[in-house]
Amino acid sequence: MSQAFAGRRVLVVEDESLVAMLLETILEDMGCVPVGPAATVEEGLRLSADGEPIDAALLDVNVAGRQVFPVAARLKERGVPFVFSTGYGEGGLPDEWRGHPTLQKPFTEAAVRDALMGAMGLADV
Amino acid sequence: MLVTRDLRYAGMNTAYLEAVSARREDLLGKGVFEVFDSGPTEEGRENARQLRASFERVLREGRPDHLALIRYALPRTSSDGQVRFEERFWSATHTPIHDDDGRVVYILQHTTDVTELEQLRRQAGAARKRALDSILSGNVLQRAESVQETNRQLESERNRLLEMFMQAPGFIAVLSGRTHVFQMHNPAYAQLIGHRDIAGKPMCEALPEISHQAYLSLLDTVYSTGEPYEGRASRVEIQRSPEGPLETRWLDFIYQPIRDDAGAVVGIFVQGHDVTETVLAAERQKLMIDELNHRVKNTLATVQSIAMQTARFHADPTTFAEGFQARLLALSHTHDLLTRTHWEGADLGDILRHETEAHGSSRVSATGPRVALPPAAALSLGMVFHELATNAAKYGALSAPDGRVLVDWSLADQTRRRLRLLWREVGGPPVSPPERRGFGSRLIERNVRHDLAGEVELDYAGDGLAATFSIPLDREQDT
Repeated sequence: MSQAFAGRRVLVVEDESLVAMLLETILEDMGCVPVGPAATVEEGLRLSADGEPIDAALLDVNVAGRQVFPVAARLKERGVPFVFSTGYGEGGLPDEWRGHPTLQKPFTEAAVRDALMGAMGLADV
Repeated sequence: MLVTRDLRYAGMNTAYLEAVSARREDLLGKGVFEVFDSGPTEEGRENARQLRASFERVLREGRPDHLALIRYALPRTSSDGQVRFEERFWSATHTPIHDDDGRVVYILQHTTDVTELEQLRRQAGAARKRALDSILSGNVLQRAESVQETNRQLESERNRLLEMFMQAPGFIAVLSGRTHVFQMHNPAYAQLIGHRDIAGKPMCEALPEISHQAYLSLLDTVYSTGEPYEGRASRVEIQRSPEGPLETRWLDFIYQPIRDDAGAVVGIFVQGHDVTETVLAAERQKLMIDELNHRVKNTLATVQSIAMQTARFHADPTTFAEGFQARLLALSHTHDLLTRTHWEGADLGDILRHETEAHGSSRVSATGPRVALPPAAALSLGMVFHELATNAAKYGALSAPDGRVLVDWSLADQTRRRLRLLWREVGGPPVSPPERRGFGSRLIERNVRHDLAGEVELDYAGDGLAATFSIPLDREQDT
């Protein structure tokens, strides 16, 4: 198991509690500290505000009927790496975010780890 | 002679009076057809109809009309006092006289009696016919007659075509010249552009909003190149009523150049259909497919989560399979309920009964009003009830023969509805808080707090579990 993630704080924005629970479990197994999960865009914005200690984030694109992009914009501004998770695939992203690391639902543990590593620029050691 | 719009004599010269053998005072103010009706025969009535049609064309179109040859019989009173109709042939031109406003006020008839020529032709025997024909400068009367017949056929053909254009369900317009002046448009076109007055106006003046879009330069290109243009589901912002706002429509259309005899483009024929409904239906369908895809993927992610987390608490494959299947069925039951209402929502009592009936309907008593739950809340509470019932059957009231579950709920605050629900187990074995939180209780807490933004309290009192829920129902409208 990679030590690279030990103690990393990862924000989770996801409105489905069962999916959020799975992400938390996967993150905990990786040694990360899950932050949230946020069930709405507002909560996501609150948890990603300046001063909140976050090392990375997993953002569901469609959160309770709204799009998560305001949270994504804030994280980008702060320089916090993040990965989108979506059932639509990368094609479902608007032009502004196309090409950004994306996790396809449903996801495997390995897919979550690889996507986060890629976004954070970590190497498996 | 001169007739009024209602076809009464307004004036005539002596030549006319001589030709028809009448006195001026007998004609002035009288209706033309009242005085001369071409006789009571079928042929006579047809002659009168032809003459009237010519007058009406002039009134309608404001242009001169020619009757190259028309039979029109005149009454003659013979020496015995009887009235007979004498066959006469005429050639006539009807010219409109306009007033200052351009309205036709009179029709001037210039007519020549050609009876002698026609009679000469008819009386000619077969032997002399050819010679006579040449005398009558190449059968001029027959030619005149045939031109007249051709004109009549063209006229009716033209009217039939015009009628077809007018009744066509698609929109049609004919534009002429470099500035695309509206020559003609049908009611479907008028409806498309909100019945604005466009006849005789150039495109840029008639439909300024269209001209500001790409359509004017398209017309210019078709006019200058002579190449037709076809637009498919082409978006246009158009004014549907005079002074009205712009509306978005989608049109299938063709701009077809119209050429003169020499092949030069003189106008453009516009024809097409409003396909807005089709385009919108296709968009809705795409949205629905995207949404369906999203839901399926989310459901798969949920199922995956249930599988992985159930696996963490069941090392034994048999008990894993049982627990996993039961949770899948719980999810599926709520889906069934939602499908019945086309995913508009489900009733709280129905969800509760669905998730608990496997344990005996008499053992779970449900008391409360009808509460319509939106789909997301329905799915969450379905899972919650399933976990509570499973837990009760394993460790709680439903594990004892006489144990029961009492579920009571009520709605507080009708404007921002809040559901209060109490799940109380009685008659079961004594309970105590679990030593380790299982997936079931985690799932309950997370569902209520995370998905429903509500609160839950699980009280493991001595005589049975009491779970108290408080859940806002009108959350979606908050944002």
